Amino acid sequence: MKAVASIMNTSSEGPDARRRLVVCSLLLVGFVVILLRLFFLQVIQGPELANKARRQHLKVITLNSSRGAIYDRQGRALALNLDVPSVYATPASIEDPAETARQLATVLGLSPWEVEERLRMKRDFVWVKRKVTHPQAQVIRSLSLKGIELLLEEKRFYPKGTLLSHVLGFAGIDSQGLEGLERGYEPYLRGKDRKVILQRDGFGRTIIPRGRGEDSVLSGHTIWLTIDEVVQYIAERALDAAVAKTGARGGTIIVLDPQTGGVLGWALRPTFDPNRFRAATPDLWRNRAVTDPYEPGSTLKIILAAAALEEGIVEPGTLIYAGDGQMPVSGTIIHDHEKAGWLTFSQAMERSSNVAAVKTSLALGKEQLYWYLRAFGFGERTEIDLPGESKGILKPPENWDERTLASIAIGQEIGVTPLQLVSAAAAIANQGWLMKPYVVQEIRDGQGELDWVRKPQVHRRPISQKTAAILTELLVNAVREGTGKRARIPGYRVAGKTGTAQKVDPMTGGYSSTRLIGSFVGFVPAENPRLVLLVMIDEPQGPAWGSLVAAPVFREVAEQVLRYLQVPPDGAEKMTVAAA
Amino acid sequence: MGERHLNRRGMDSFDWCFLSVIVSILFLGGLSLYSVTSDAQGSGFPVYLKQTLWIGVGALAFLVLASLDYHKLARWAYVLYGIGLILLVIVLVSGKSSRGAQRWIALGPLAIQPSEFVKFSLILVLSVYYATRVRYGWLHRMVLPGLLTLPGFLLTLKQPDLGSSLSFLAIYVTLLLAVGVKSKTFGLVLLSSLMIFPFAWGELWGSLYEYQKERIISFVNPAYDPGGKGYHGLQSRIAVGSGELFGKGLQGGTQSQFKFLPEGHTDFVFAVFAEEWGFFGSVLLVSLFLALFLLGLDIASKARDLLGALVAIGVVGMIAFGVVVNIGMTLGLAPIVGIPLPLMSYGGSATVVTMAALGLLMNVKRRRLTLLPY
Repeated sequence: MKAVASIMNTSSEGPDARRRLVVCSLLLVGFVVILLRLFFLQVIQGPELANKARRQHLKVITLNSSRGAIYDRQGRALALNLDVPSVYATPASIEDPAETARQLATVLGLSPWEVEERLRMKRDFVWVKRKVTHPQAQVIRSLSLKGIELLLEEKRFYPKGTLLSHVLGFAGIDSQGLEGLERGYEPYLRGKDRKVILQRDGFGRTIIPRGRGEDSVLSGHTIWLTIDEVVQYIAERALDAAVAKTGARGGTIIVLDPQTGGVLGWALRPTFDPNRFRAATPDLWRNRAVTDPYEPGSTLKIILAAAALEEGIVEPGTLIYAGDGQMPVSGTIIHDHEKAGWLTFSQAMERSSNVAAVKTSLALGKEQLYWYLRAFGFGERTEIDLPGESKGILKPPENWDERTLASIAIGQEIGVTPLQLVSAAAAIANQGWLMKPYVVQEIRDGQGELDWVRKPQVHRRPISQKTAAILTELLVNAVREGTGKRARIPGYRVAGKTGTAQKVDPMTGGYSSTRLIGSFVGFVPAENPRLVLLVMIDEPQGPAWGSLVAAPVFREVAEQVLRYLQVPPDGAEKMTVAAA
Repeated sequence: MGERHLNRRGMDSFDWCFLSVIVSILFLGGLSLYSVTSDAQGSGFPVYLKQTLWIGVGALAFLVLASLDYHKLARWAYVLYGIGLILLVIVLVSGKSSRGAQRWIALGPLAIQPSEFVKFSLILVLSVYYATRVRYGWLHRMVLPGLLTLPGFLLTLKQPDLGSSLSFLAIYVTLLLAVGVKSKTFGLVLLSSLMIFPFAWGELWGSLYEYQKERIISFVNPAYDPGGKGYHGLQSRIAVGSGELFGKGLQGGTQSQFKFLPEGHTDFVFAVFAEEWGFFGSVLLVSLFLALFLLGLDIASKARDLLGALVAIGVVGMIAFGVVVNIGMTLGLAPIVGIPLPLMSYGGSATVVTMAALGLLMNVKRRRLTLLPY
C-alpha cells in the first residue's frame, strides 16, 4: 500500500489547475468539433437535407372517400361503389422498364411503348392503368413485377345497368360526377378528398394508408330519389316494347306525381349503360327530356283550352264551326283530318280539331295566349334538379303574327321540353297549381342522418280549380270518346290528350311529312289524379298518330303503375258500361 | 492531497448533479427508443419497455457498485477478467449469431453480450495492475498490460465486433497514458486526444481506396452496408440534418419512423434523437455527455488513491470513447464501426455495464473522504 501512495505522489506532480485546464480544453475541443458538425448538418445543410428526406419518402396523392350512393324511393340502390384494383408503378424500383412494360401491356391491352414511357417517368408514383378487372389484377399479381403494385380504388357501379341512366348520369374515373344527378348533386355525393401521403419506407415498399376508420365521416351524402324502381322498370319495359313494335327511333316516358311534382319514372330511348358510358356516343348521354325542345303538336291544345276556359272565351258547350276541315290563315291552310261542321268546344277537343283550336286561339289573342303559356311554365326552366335543362323556345308576343297564333294553337312554332309539357299537364291535374318538378326526395349524410328533405314547391297557379275541373272533364271525354280511346283503363277515369307533331326537316326548314312524333299526355284517376304521364314515340315507322302509337303505351304503363301503387278504381261502373 | 479537500463542500449537491445528468441522458435515450419502437409490428415486448427494464437492472448495478468498497472489488479483478475471457471463448464456440456476428450467449430468454462485462473487468484489471506496484520500464508499463488486453481485443475482433475491440484498445491506451508518462495529467491529455482520434482516423480512412474500405468493413462487420455504398451513413446524415433547428417532434422523425434510418434503436439512436429534437436538442444532449465526462474527470482528479483515479479515468475513457465514436459515425465524421451510444442505445448488457461503471465512478467519489487503512 505504500507503493500505491508513492506512485500516487509521483503521478500527481505538477500544478493541479494547469492539468485540469488542459484536460478540459482538449475534451472541449472534441465536443466543439461535434457541435460544429451538428451546426453544419442541421442548420446550414438542414433545409437541403430536409428536402432530401421529403423527396425520399413523400408523395401526396389525392384519394377520394366513398362517393355517396343513390337510392330509389324505397331504398333500392341505383348507384353504388365497388372496390376495384388499380395498377400503379414506383418507377425507381423497376429494373427493366422495357420488359415490365411489355408484360403489363399484354395483360392490360395497352401499347407497350406508352406503358414504358410511363414507367420511365422520374416520379415516385405513376398510374399504369386504373380500375382494371379483377382477372387482370390477378394476372399482374402473379407476375410479381418489381415496382408494380396494385391498390383498391372505388369505382362507381350502376347495378341496374341502363335503368334510369339519363337521370342518374355517371361518374368518371376519379369518381367525379359527369352527367345527370351525379353531376348535379356532385357537391353532396362527392366524398371529401383525402390528401394521402404515399409513403415509402426504407425497404422501398409503398405504404398507402387507407384510413378506413374515418370513411363514414368523409364519405359523400347519399341521395334518395322520388323515382320508384318498379315504376321506372314498368315505364322502360313498355317503352322498349313500343319502340320495337313501331320501329321508332326512340321515345320518352315521364311519370310525375301531380300533387307534389315528384318524378316517379323517367325513361328515354335510345339509352346507354352508365357502367360503360364510353361505349355510347355523348348524344346518347344527354337527358333529352330536359335538354331537347320539340314541337308538341296537339298535346299543347290542353294549354289553349285552359286559357280559353279561364278567360271565359269558350265553355265546353260553346259551338264552333269547324267547316269542311280546312281554314286559311295568313296565307297557309290549317287542316283537320276529317270534316266536322259545327262542334261544341268539348267535341273539338275530343276530335282534336285544328280548325276549332285556331279559331279559339285567334279569339284569345296573342297577349293572352302568351301569358298562359308562360304561366304554365313554357319558355322557362322548370327548375328540376337535373342539369342541362332547356327553357324551350317561345317567341315573345311582339314577334307573333296571326300565323304564329294559329301555329301555337296546334303546337307548332313553339319548342317545349317533354318535362315542361308533362308538368303543365300536372298543373291541370293538381287543381291548377303548377308544381316544381324534382327527382331527389332527401339527402342523408355519410352516417345515414337526414340532412335535407324536399318540400314540394309551387311555381304558381295559372288557372282556377273550376277551370281545372272543367278541363279535366273535357280530357276525360277525349279519352273516353275521342282520339285517346286507346288510353282507356278499365275501372279508371283517364284524362288525356293525343298529339302528332311533324318534326322540322333540318334540310328544308319546313315540316317533314314522314318524321313525326306521336305523343299522349294524360293523368289518372281523373278525380284525384295520382299519375301524370307523357308518352312520346319518336319517328315511328308507319302511322305515327299519337292515338295509335302513344295512347296504348300510356295505358299499359298507367295500368300497371296504378296496380303497383294500389290506387283504387274511380269509374268502374261507367267503364264496364262503356266497354260493353 | 486528500486533506486539502476534506471540507464538506457541496458533496450532496455534487452527487445530485452527477446523478441528474445520468438520469437526463437515460430519459432522452428512452424517449428516442420509444419513438422508434413503440409502434413496431410483431409479437413480443416492445424494445423501449425492455430497455426500461434493463435500465432498472442497471440502476441496481449502479447502487451496488456505488456502495461496495472498490478496493474490495479490485481484489477480484483478475478473477472477473478471467471469467469474462472464458465467456468470450464460449461465445466464439457456441454463441448466438445475429446478422453475421456471433456476440451473444443465450441465457434463457435473454441474450447477454459478454464483451461488455469484459470491458468493465479490463478497467479493473489494468487499474489494479498499475496501482498495486510501481511499474517501471517499457516491459512493465506497456507490454504486460498490453498482453493482458490482447485476449479480449482479439476475441471480440474475431466475433467480429470491431466496436468492442476498439473499446478494449481505448481502455488500454487511456490507462497506459494515465500512468505511463510522467504523470496522470499527461495521460488525461492523451485520453482527450483519443477522442480526437476518430476524426484523424476519418482522414486516414478517406485516403483508402473504395474497395479497400468496403473489404475492411465487410470483413470486420458484414452486417453493415449490405445494400449499397454509404447508404447507412447517408441516411444517418439525412436524418440528422432534416431535424434542422427545432426537430420534428417526438415520433415525428420521418426518416426513423419509416425505417430509412437503419438501426435507429441501436447504433443510430443519436440520429433518431437529432432528427426529432433538432439542433437545440442535440446541443443539449451533447452538453449533457460533456458534463458527465467533466464531472467524471473531476472525480478522478480528486480520487483518494491511484486505484480510484485510474478506475475513474478508465470508466470515463470507455464511455467517452463510445460517445465520441458513435456520434462521430452518426454525423459522418468517423467510419461506421458499429458501437452503441452509451446510456442511449438499446442493449441490455451495454446498459447494465455502463451504469455499473458509473456506479463505480460514484464509488470513487464517495470514498475520497474515507481514510485509507494505513
